[in-house]
Amino acid sequence: MIFATLVHSHNYDQLLLKAQASIFPKIVLLDKKLNEKLVDGKIIYTIAYEEEDYFTAQEIAKYMKINFKENFDKYNYKVNLIKFSNLSYDMNTTVIYALNSNENIQKVANIAKKKGIITFSYDINNLKNGLLFSLMLEKTTVLYLNKENLDNEKIDFIDSLLQMVNFID
Amino acid sequence: MLNKLFNTTLLFSSLICVVLNAQTENLLTSISNEMEHFNEVATTTKQNEHYQPYIISVFEGKELEKLGILNLKEALTLVPGVDMATDNANTQTPIFRGSNPLASGQSKLFIDGILVNNVFFDAYSEYLSFPVEMIKRVEVVRGPGSKVDGINAYAGSINVITYAEDFKGFESNDKIVFKYGSYNYKMGGFIKTYKTDNLKIFIDFYYQKDDKKLPAGPDGLSQGVFGANNISLSKSGDAPLWLKEYSIGLNLTYKDFFLKARTLEHTQGSAYGINLALPQDSDRMKLPSQYLELGYNKKINNFKIDIKAGIKYDAFNSKSKLIPNDLNISGVIFQDGGYGEHFAAQRTIYQSSYLKYSGIAQHTITAGYRFIKEQTIDMSSKLSNRLTGDVALVDYTDTLAFFNKDAKRYTYIFSLQDEFQLSRTVSFIYGFNYEQTSYKDAGFEPKMSMVYQVDAQNIFKAIYSRSHRNSSWQEMFTMNNLARVGTTSLNPEKVDTIEFAYIKKISSDSYLQSNIFYLLNKDQIYNSSADPKYRNVVDTDIYGFEFEYKGYISSADQLYFNYSYTTGKSYIADENKNKSLPNIANHLLKGYYIYNLNTSLSLNGVAKYVGSKDRVSGDTREKVKDYLTIDSSLQYKNQKYNYTLSLSIKNMFDTKVTFPSPPNTYVQDYEQERRSFYIAFKKEF
Repeated sequence: MIFATLVHSHNYDQLLLKAQASIFPKIVLLDKKLNEKLVDGKIIYTIAYEEEDYFTAQEIAKYMKINFKENFDKYNYKVNLIKFSNLSYDMNTTVIYALNSNENIQKVANIAKKKGIITFSYDINNLKNGLLFSLMLEKTTVLYLNKENLDNEKIDFIDSLLQMVNFID
Repeated sequence: MLNKLFNTTLLFSSLICVVLNAQTENLLTSISNEMEHFNEVATTTKQNEHYQPYIISVFEGKELEKLGILNLKEALTLVPGVDMATDNANTQTPIFRGSNPLASGQSKLFIDGILVNNVFFDAYSEYLSFPVEMIKRVEVVRGPGSKVDGINAYAGSINVITYAEDFKGFESNDKIVFKYGSYNYKMGGFIKTYKTDNLKIFIDFYYQKDDKKLPAGPDGLSQGVFGANNISLSKSGDAPLWLKEYSIGLNLTYKDFFLKARTLEHTQGSAYGINLALPQDSDRMKLPSQYLELGYNKKINNFKIDIKAGIKYDAFNSKSKLIPNDLNISGVIFQDGGYGEHFAAQRTIYQSSYLKYSGIAQHTITAGYRFIKEQTIDMSSKLSNRLTGDVALVDYTDTLAFFNKDAKRYTYIFSLQDEFQLSRTVSFIYGFNYEQTSYKDAGFEPKMSMVYQVDAQNIFKAIYSRSHRNSSWQEMFTMNNLARVGTTSLNPEKVDTIEFAYIKKISSDSYLQSNIFYLLNKDQIYNSSADPKYRNVVDTDIYGFEFEYKGYISSADQLYFNYSYTTGKSYIADENKNKSLPNIANHLLKGYYIYNLNTSLSLNGVAKYVGSKDRVSGDTREKVKDYLTIDSSLQYKNQKYNYTLSLSIKNMFDTKVTFPSPPNTYVQDYEQERRSFYIAFKKEF
């Protein structure tokens, strides 16, 4: 009975988490239509997590606070921690960064596609399920983008970024 | 007027565009710099190990702590294809893929990048007790590995990274640790870092001791090592395998300069006796190790300079009862037994300079040299009177030395390597070492490797390398000894290695790695009790495969296991015949499982299976038996006060574990630890 009430978390590579938390917010700034995605003049950076990963989501938010202080460049920002189960079409956010989830990635993709939200994924495999960007620490640090998911009139990244990324079909 | 307005608007628009472009450029530069920074961290910490041109396994210190792993030795037993061997002095040696168990130096140990193999045995058994709490990460490269630093790894290299390693955003906490356990084991230590903008000082310290004794015997006298007339004096009993040691490490960084220093005072029981007679409880062997390295690293445009100079001191210092009471050697009776004090101290001085140039598109060229001078700086040899049998020690340093006190060797190594990135998916590394020594030269040794990354999930590697091991001091300079006779005419042991690997990255946190290897070893150095002189007498062909998986079953756990199969044959020159590989476990299966009950509590298990081993040619004893050990541990981490409490039970089913004894020495194999218990407390600040 006691074990039923206890929670456990997915495994995360701390270095990869930090790399993504450092680089993804800067990617957001390269969207030419970013101003249309601001919420009350701010970038809303939503971290979507499963209940057991709350501690990890908190750690990422803390790291971003230390790294970026109050602003992403000239934009104010706010980090929202939201459970996958609480994500909805009514939410207002600029970005969704998805931690691991067995069941809810498609839900994130659907919401993002409809609302033109920029999505980042911890796990590269989620790009096949409709998320936009991921980042891997390979021989070099590689930014991955699913080109198919870019086909959204509300998202328009500068060409120089597209020259930096590796496309996944 | 309109024209003026138009021009002003145009100018203003142009200015905005310039400013925006500049902002975008700055942003892109910032992203590139971040990517480069994380790439550097990932490469240094081997996070991107699967994309590198060698076969490597990496174990994080904190993960090892969770598993209840006590020290470096236990960590190494998790590595695919690695088994452990020992000898009568209990010089324990990891055996990589069936490498020569008598040649300790076939693998190299680096602490924070500094080679610490001692000169006497070319071994590093004194560092195997290095507590896991002092280790941030263990990186184990199977096969010769990188040539860049000019050091030949031969069968494998072990890089122990302490918490001195430091990257922006990845600082380590200060901590204290205490451990207590079976065999009256006690350990205490701390880690402390002091940091300003330009200066960083890191210190680690630990002290540990135990009273370990393990059953052994009948000892070598039973096999007639002192003649048939002394067989009745053979004993069985507890071999003194106790440990007492402390170590202080210092790492100092100031701008582009660094200093790395460590002193290790290691004392251990005399184990099974250097003359194969079971020693007394208090008999001991000291293996101190000290090093100091100064270095300078600087990146200037496309050049990266790496200059190092260092000094290392190590010694063999034995004080023990060598022969039992009433031993009779050629009519001389040692009524109260015979005692001995042997001491040989070695100093190594080295200097290396490497230059890396990345100014040619797709190429990174590294060239440099390493110069090494190894020298015996002190030696003494005292024994009970060999002529009268009187127990009082007589100084035989000049008349019957156990070692050549003028031992000295110079080594010059030149290295050249090019890393060629043919495309985003294909890269090559090729280069060579050229080595000359004041004895037999290894000469020219090439290396080539290719990494083909099909996509983010699938990676192939192919590696060819030639490497060598120079003879140890023991093999070259031991004299007047019944068990070991050295000679300087030995050729270096040589190996040609061919490896292929495939890695499947299942996700960011899980992978499958499989590889096959073929090793052609020439001029392996052996001796035996029948012929104690070291000789290049064996060639071996070794091949096999290794399979490794790391992942999880559920989101609450972590699973790791590996299996390795090693086989081959050895050609013994004296007997002009082929034999199966002796003392090698064909099958090794290892793994661990971590179950996180919650964010504070984890229950963990480690399992290791080591297959049976054939005996050496002429040894009629049964095969060395296989064994399976299971360890378990429970770790509690208090997030609020940042302390950790661990309980572990090792070899929980009390399995008998033995390492092979050579023929005509101890009749029974060397028995290892049975069931044992440990508790550890760690507090981070």
